[in-house]
Amino acid sequence: MYEDKVNLIKSIQLVGFAVVEMQLYLDMNPCDVNALSAYNSYVARQQNLITTYENMYGPLRSNTSQSCYPWQWINDPWPWEMVY
Amino acid sequence: MWVYEKKLEYPADVERTNPRLAREIITQYGGPDGELSASLRYLTQRFTMPSNYSKALLTDIGTEESVPIGYQ
Repeated sequence: MYEDKVNLIKSIQLVGFAVVEMQLYLDMNPCDVNALSAYNSYVARQQNLITTYENMYGPLRSNTSQSCYPWQWINDPWPWEMVY
Repeated sequence: MWVYEKKLEYPADVERTNPRLAREIITQYGGPDGELSASLRYLTQRFTMPSNYSKALLTDIGTEESVPIGYQ
């Protein structure tokens, strides 16, 4: 159960890291078609993973995800409390 | 605006306290040649950049450099 959650977070971190690096590359190489399509597919994967995570475990972002009742944002674990 | 993500960029397990290592890390982050001042420098320099490439790159690098506080 907790392992599923951790694995999902790790997948989000993996894809998120790729997104960040591709973004920096594309800033300087905006006409690289292959890089752009890789970026777009990483972003789509990231969005799916985040949606899956948030539906199961609560909001990952402070102001772009909805919350069920009661307000979920205050729940554990915070990033520095996570055990991998 | 700053948008907080309730996750680390990279998984980090804190197993025990280590004051000497903590001092090194906080210096790397907030010290005179640290990432915090670098990020503010990038975010300020971008206002004088002549091209869209460099405005975007300095915005994105300046944003990322300010992240490591999230390791706490």
